[in-house]
Amino acid sequence: MIRNLKELYQYRALLWALTARELKARYRASVLGFLWTFLNPTLNMIVYVLVFGVIMSTSVERYPFFLFCGLIPWVFFASSILGGTTSVSDRKDLLTKVRFPAQVLPATVVATNLVNFLLSLPLLFLLGALYGDWPSWHLVFLVPVLLVQTFFTLAVTYLLSSLNVAFRDLQHIVANLVQMLFFLTPVLWNVETIPAIHRFGLDLTAEQARDAMLYANPMAAVMNAWRDIFYAHAVPAWQPLVAVAGVSLVLMWISSGVFERRREEFAELV
Amino acid sequence: MSAPSSDAIVLKSVVKSFRKTSRKRETTTLKTELVRWLTFRKKKAEPSQLIQALTGVDLRIPRGKTVGIVGRNGSGKSTLLKLVTGIYTPTSGTIEVHGRISALLELGAGFHPDFTGRENILINGIILGMSRAEVKARVEQIIEYAELGDFIDEPVRTYSSGMFMRLAFAVATHVDPEILIIDEILSVGDEHFARKSQAKMNEFRHGGKTILLVTHALGTVESWCDLAAWIDGGKVRMFGDPRRVVAEYRRAIAAAEAEAEKTGHSALSAPGLALPQTNGAQAQGVAGARLTGVRLHDGAGATAASFSSDAALSVVLDFEALSKAPLRFSVDVMSADGRLVFSLGYDAGELAGKGAVTLKVPRLGLAEGVYELLGTVTRPGEPPPPPHRVALTVSGSAGAGVLKPVHEWAVERPDN
Repeated sequence: MIRNLKELYQYRALLWALTARELKARYRASVLGFLWTFLNPTLNMIVYVLVFGVIMSTSVERYPFFLFCGLIPWVFFASSILGGTTSVSDRKDLLTKVRFPAQVLPATVVATNLVNFLLSLPLLFLLGALYGDWPSWHLVFLVPVLLVQTFFTLAVTYLLSSLNVAFRDLQHIVANLVQMLFFLTPVLWNVETIPAIHRFGLDLTAEQARDAMLYANPMAAVMNAWRDIFYAHAVPAWQPLVAVAGVSLVLMWISSGVFERRREEFAELV
Repeated sequence: MSAPSSDAIVLKSVVKSFRKTSRKRETTTLKTELVRWLTFRKKKAEPSQLIQALTGVDLRIPRGKTVGIVGRNGSGKSTLLKLVTGIYTPTSGTIEVHGRISALLELGAGFHPDFTGRENILINGIILGMSRAEVKARVEQIIEYAELGDFIDEPVRTYSSGMFMRLAFAVATHVDPEILIIDEILSVGDEHFARKSQAKMNEFRHGGKTILLVTHALGTVESWCDLAAWIDGGKVRMFGDPRRVVAEYRRAIAAAEAEAEKTGHSALSAPGLALPQTNGAQAQGVAGARLTGVRLHDGAGATAASFSSDAALSVVLDFEALSKAPLRFSVDVMSADGRLVFSLGYDAGELAGKGAVTLKVPRLGLAEGVYELLGTVTRPGEPPPPPHRVALTVSGSAGAGVLKPVHEWAVERPDN
């Protein structure tokens, strides 16, 4: 794992160049260009607000802002996973024709989406300002939470990208799983609204159910932390985040191992 | 840093096998997979699904030499290059590479069509292993070399294929490698640029770079390489002087073709299959008359391995004729690049039984090199049989071309 990350650092020039190109290429041929970075999540948000805020009339206050606080980090995660899964298998041109450090490819996707996330933050603050909600000092927690989410995303991406080379069905499976996870993660809803569960042989209080969600779903813990920072202006609970960091570390160790082992066959299988 | 070594690349018993399953797996349907599961049938044994592209390659590429690799399609040449480049890892064996490699396996890898030439230079340069600063320092040089003019700031998708190749070639060769790996791409662009790229290659050669080159242009290998390796059936069949290697390779191809003509099938029909061995005088000919051997003698009548340009040569054609019939003997000499140097024919009249016909050449007159001598015997009205081939090595007189005429030099000086 250490070697993997060290090599990634070693190839940072390549990583950066590819990321810059990816960002530029994304909107190059379009008329609105860079504006799409803002338009995409805004349009998404409007639909969700219409469905859950208006039609189903949720009780959450300032729902559009609440939604946006979760949606933007979620887009970072989901786009990274979806793009990352095919990042190695799609680059036959690079892998079979030049000596190319494959581990840069998934990292490029994550880095690209990370930059996109950072560029979307002003939009988030703008929306908050419309509700008279200004960023508070809790913004300092942005750094550790972002680190945890990025590291977790990178670990998942490494695993999926290396497996997808030999097993192409994975990309379709992942697309479905990400969609499911979206609804199972407190993006559209508040984690505090999970009711007590007394079914399926389970006997959980609302609090226990909430904790189960936060510890079982790494993205739930991260989403909750984002809400605390932007929406609730509270110090995020550190225990679930530490758990996610721990999980990410183990996952990264496994992913790097798998990636390293499978790397030799990339050029032959893509 | 790598330890100083006189060899740029060292391959030790390198084996590379590919699994066939990657193709098969794609056609496996869920149904067949389920059936296999339900019937508890195990997957087929692994070895039968392995394709060995290289079966044990030992090769030392000396530093600063230009080495040509020849061989049939599917013999493992490109696999070898990819292994040396580091794109593939060997199944077993070791590969040592001393020095920075630039591989011209395919030009323009990683070019993005929506980006301008200038932007692609940067990204391609970094992909090829340069640092950002190095690329920046060379951008102008590359642009100038590629001769794209104002197009350099247009998206690459608007380029003609020639422009694309020129730009890609320019970037790849400005990486300043110590070892250059080239796969069949010496001719880039029009006549002018082809010459320019040739000049660039010569610059590399004289700059002490190691060049590893795969090509089917055998003339290039002979005239341009210091050494040649012939890869056949996943092994190095011959390594050494390019002219000898190429001549031997040509002979093997010719022998395989002759075999195909005779039997209808040969190693040539299956890609990658090793070519037949050429040594050993196989009797060849048509039913009525055939040559049983072709011997090369020097002036004194002794068998010689090589001849000097001024030496006498006797070609002894041993024949066997089943019935009395007029026989025509001929001796053709081909240069290593396949050109006919001379062709001599002789009508021997009616002959039967075993015998020998000798062609005497008082002075050989050929320049140094490896030639191919083809002996044939034909009966009128019958199709010419495949010729009996032997190598004719001429040595001891440096000089280009194929002829060394009787000559003398004279100097005329102004009286003083």
